[in-house]
Amino acid sequence: MKDVYILAIETSCDETSMAIVKNGHHVESFTVLTQMDTHANYGGVVPEIASRMHTENITLVFEETMKKSKIKMAQIDAIAVTYAPGLLGSLLVGVEFAKTIAFVYNKPLIAVNHTIGHIYANNIDNELQFPLLALVVSGGHTDLIEMNKDYDFNVLGSTMDDAIGEAFDKVARVLDLKYPGGPNVERLAKLGQPTYKLPKPLNDKSLNFSFSGLKSSIINLVHNERQRNHEINKEDLACSFQTTAFDEVTRKVELALQHKKYRQLIIAGGVSASQYLRKEIKTLADKYDILLNIPDFKYCTDNAAMIGAAAYPLYLEKKFADYSLNAQSGASLNSK
Amino acid sequence: MYTLYLDTHSNKIIIVLYNNDQILIKQEQNTSYDHSISTMPLLIKTLEQHNLKAEDLNQIVVVNGPGSFTGVRIGVTIAKTLAYTLNVPIKTVSSLFIKAVSIDHEEVTIVEREKNGVFLGKFDKNNNLIEDYQYLKNKEYESLTNKQNFVENIALDYEKIKKSLEALENQNPHSVKPLYVKKIEVEK
Repeated sequence: MKDVYILAIETSCDETSMAIVKNGHHVESFTVLTQMDTHANYGGVVPEIASRMHTENITLVFEETMKKSKIKMAQIDAIAVTYAPGLLGSLLVGVEFAKTIAFVYNKPLIAVNHTIGHIYANNIDNELQFPLLALVVSGGHTDLIEMNKDYDFNVLGSTMDDAIGEAFDKVARVLDLKYPGGPNVERLAKLGQPTYKLPKPLNDKSLNFSFSGLKSSIINLVHNERQRNHEINKEDLACSFQTTAFDEVTRKVELALQHKKYRQLIIAGGVSASQYLRKEIKTLADKYDILLNIPDFKYCTDNAAMIGAAAYPLYLEKKFADYSLNAQSGASLNSK
Repeated sequence: MYTLYLDTHSNKIIIVLYNNDQILIKQEQNTSYDHSISTMPLLIKTLEQHNLKAEDLNQIVVVNGPGSFTGVRIGVTIAKTLAYTLNVPIKTVSSLFIKAVSIDHEEVTIVEREKNGVFLGKFDKNNNLIEDYQYLKNKEYESLTNKQNFVENIALDYEKIKKSLEALENQNPHSVKPLYVKKIEVEK
């Protein structure tokens, strides 16, 4: 079979990224332009600024991505773009760019769900093995998903309130840590011990998650200690929070593994970059003797390579979008 | 020589296709600020009606604001991507400039309304900008006492707009960006 090259575009939050992906598995060219330093000045992503920066940088990122590769536009088989979920204004820049190049170069257009992209990051230099259990952990998600074949998503459990990444960002703010919260909490946690007693997030047998109680207990603890002029050991508190949060995630993954025999366990989403979580899940996979895949660090955070990987099954089924494609801030996994 | 003119700064999408200075077609479509759904389909339809392909375009002109932030971004993204990929010249015009060039005038302040306020642009009789563009909230605008030579509700003259382009310089597509004028919360 002829090789399939997909040019993929991702602008759902504060990274302008493009990639050329071969046959859904191999990254031929890859560019990520992050706006993190800009948003760090404001303590979090400012949606309007993110959209502005995407507009300013979009053709530069395209130029860079094409320059890095021997593949020419004539060899590209399709244009894939993240259409949802994410920041509307940011998504729109990628969507309009994708439509324009699809028109200019006369290529089919593929609309990709960002969350599905995170899952398919596990197909890069790898092969998904069904049935699989996917743990999706990010600023917008904490989901356990079962897949029996490509693009078949059975959500077994979800967060009932905050996503885990969201909880990390909020705790980071209480601890006066800079944006992005997750990596900074982890850095601090490495220096501490889990000495603070925190409530167990959702001590039940379901596969759902809840992090708002844990987050609130930390906020309250910090306020109370400050009112009493007590010193907070930030390292220990960060460590206690991280341990409690990830132990709960790991416990739920273990519950799911006990319910059913899967061929593969995969992790997806920005929080899967956490070394602590990776270690815990690795231990669990060894215990249950299940194939484990965790994407390379650069494919865990927002990137276009995963969008190219996720577009490939849609390309094979000729599920193409037309030029009226719109961006959506929210979307379920089974909506397109 | 074909010129594509694209304006998405308001709740209308306007696309004009010129052959040299002659207007081949002018398309206008109302949107409820969902420019994303309609702009590319309208652009493609416009070209198809004249049996043109993207690569037949020789020049791109885009209204880069001020106006709807999202609307302008959609027009600018499409326009700069067309110019870059087709390797053709691109020019930007402001939503106030196109009004100024559409009328004969001495010194004039063009008023462009939006939901909560107005954009103001003061031009001399040769359409050179005299002061930086301004954004005033409706209340601030109403309290202005001197509105001498203020003009709003201008019918756009696309032949005059086309002629005015000659005096403008081409831009590098990479550096084409929206003109926002209105400050956002974090800039204040």
